[in-house]
Amino acid sequence: MEYPLTRLDEKILSLKNASKKALVAYLVAGDPDLDSTLELMHGFVGAGVDILEVGVPFTDPIAEGPIIQAAHDRALKNNTSLTDIFKLIKKFREKDSDTPIILMGYINTFLASIKALKESHTFGSDAVLIVDIPGESDLKNIGIKNTNLASISLIAPTTSKDRISKICNNSSGFIYYVTLRGVTGSSHLNISEAESNINYIRSQTSLPIFAGFGIKTPDDASNLSKISDGVVIGSSLVEMIHNQSSQKEFKKIYNYLNEISEAISL
Amino acid sequence: MNKLTDLPNSDGFFGEYGGKFVPETLMHALKELDETYSTLKSNPKFIEEIDQDLVQFVGRPSPLYFAKRLTDHYSGPKIWLKREDLNHTGAHKINNTVGQILLAKAMGKKRIIAETGAGQHGVATATVAARLGLECHIYMGAKDVERQSLNVYRIKLLGAEVHAVDSGTATLKDALNEAMRDWVTHIEDTYYIIGSVTGPHPYPMIVRDFNAIVGRELRKQSIEQFSQYPDAIIACVGGGSNAMGIFYPFLGESNVELIGVEAAGSGLKSGKHAAPLNDGEPGILHGAKSYLMQDENGQVIDTHSVSAGLDYPGVGPEHSNLKDSGRANYIAVDDKEVLDSFHLVTKLEGIMPALETAHAFAALDHIAKNYQSNQHLVINVSGRGDKDINTVATMDGISLD
Repeated sequence: MEYPLTRLDEKILSLKNASKKALVAYLVAGDPDLDSTLELMHGFVGAGVDILEVGVPFTDPIAEGPIIQAAHDRALKNNTSLTDIFKLIKKFREKDSDTPIILMGYINTFLASIKALKESHTFGSDAVLIVDIPGESDLKNIGIKNTNLASISLIAPTTSKDRISKICNNSSGFIYYVTLRGVTGSSHLNISEAESNINYIRSQTSLPIFAGFGIKTPDDASNLSKISDGVVIGSSLVEMIHNQSSQKEFKKIYNYLNEISEAISL
Repeated sequence: MNKLTDLPNSDGFFGEYGGKFVPETLMHALKELDETYSTLKSNPKFIEEIDQDLVQFVGRPSPLYFAKRLTDHYSGPKIWLKREDLNHTGAHKINNTVGQILLAKAMGKKRIIAETGAGQHGVATATVAARLGLECHIYMGAKDVERQSLNVYRIKLLGAEVHAVDSGTATLKDALNEAMRDWVTHIEDTYYIIGSVTGPHPYPMIVRDFNAIVGRELRKQSIEQFSQYPDAIIACVGGGSNAMGIFYPFLGESNVELIGVEAAGSGLKSGKHAAPLNDGEPGILHGAKSYLMQDENGQVIDTHSVSAGLDYPGVGPEHSNLKDSGRANYIAVDDKEVLDSFHLVTKLEGIMPALETAHAFAALDHIAKNYQSNQHLVINVSGRGDKDINTVATMDGISLD
């Protein structure tokens, strides 16, 4: 069946046509506060970010390392809810109608706001990445039959081959390859293993494959971009946001993203 | 529809509850565990090895004891105690760890991790790891490390490392989060011994099966000692492993009433409690769908209980299904009732129950009047109270220093 292209599909297509690798940047909504998150989202795009991944805070984020856990805690201290995040996205869309937004989080918070989530494409969200559902289940399994919201799945180094094809069949947008065994922000990056796994995934799907978890330096990003279609930066950004949040001076972060952006376009 | 005794289904669901809601990295390990367990559980050598450990190392069978003075106190039904407190290490938790450590061995894992609340599961895990000479790491909420210091020291004496978890509410749920993160990071060489009938499939099934020895013994003992099955079985429920272990072999006996007792903490109406089956909504935490203490945004809310072992916002998925199906009933008793009950049982029977277990005893104040003197109630004495002496003294306003 043919579907109209979503904002995410269009972005991916335009990157492909320009032979460019995607830069995906993660931040936790509400850390340090929602106004800063809005400012950072626009700032990220200005610094070369192609796709935004907005973390939805949860009390028990089991896939996150200490840096992102702490950011979830800070956002929850501000009572950041998914409803607030939908408002944030609406505001972001007032100035940017082009950059795709992925909501990344844990199933229990999404289930609590399932009605609003189903409608969320109408005010500007483009995809959902739920960390704690099996990859072969898609949004339909949680009651979202909506082709306007892409369902992004993770594939890990431990994912078996038979499941890789099932996951690919139930995914849209792109495949997110987890580059390490560990939580977000760990440092067990294994490029050669990632390369052979990504090559295998490619044999199973025409979706682009982005790599993430554990990318810290422009070198990491450059190495991974050579074997994938894009990279996701998370923990290192969240750490920088936290370090800069008292004076709300985010220029350092944008410089860092510029460096990453250049490193992956070489 | 499947019979209750045939659950979970192959995807790990008990009705609508259970499943495998975990980060992708863990999916393969869960499948591997499921396959290993399916193969081994009917292997005569494996069964023989567990049975031998249960007899010679744990000290099973545990007695079924007639509590005469407690029976006189309530002047109603006959009250019997299933004495899991007499097991090696002092609680039912060892039934599960002797089984799971053999799964770990069969899978060639070199490193053992576990979470613990009251510390009983930590002790039971460190004990079996010591016996096989395996490296062992126990995750425990920082708040629990403090209130269960005796067990923390026991775990260390057994050669395991205790990791105090400061994140979140610094209790059992956070210890579970941290154990899961450890597992994601060391997936190749590490076996995670979950201590309750919680977590992703196949854990709720495996932990139930290893604890079901308690219910199987009770079937035999009740016929031998009072010539019928019990009229009701009462057990405390945090995650719910002692309750599931004693309930499961009776699920098909519709004349046997099953009563789970949750922690009402400062009272159900206060909101400060740990009673998701009484006052929670279905949600997903730690890999399974089940009743959960959560707010309208799907955030898990803080729990409160005097008992560290019941201080958990979720509950095993099989209990959620038993609740919805009506096969089991779940009530809740508050901290004050629990403390009173602890003193009552200690003085009347010379048995000092764990504060978790004291919840099951406290239920007698509510339900004993519903039974006649020719009926038989069995309380699962899930653990002994030595570990709780400091907490009890503090609650009584007595300093032990």
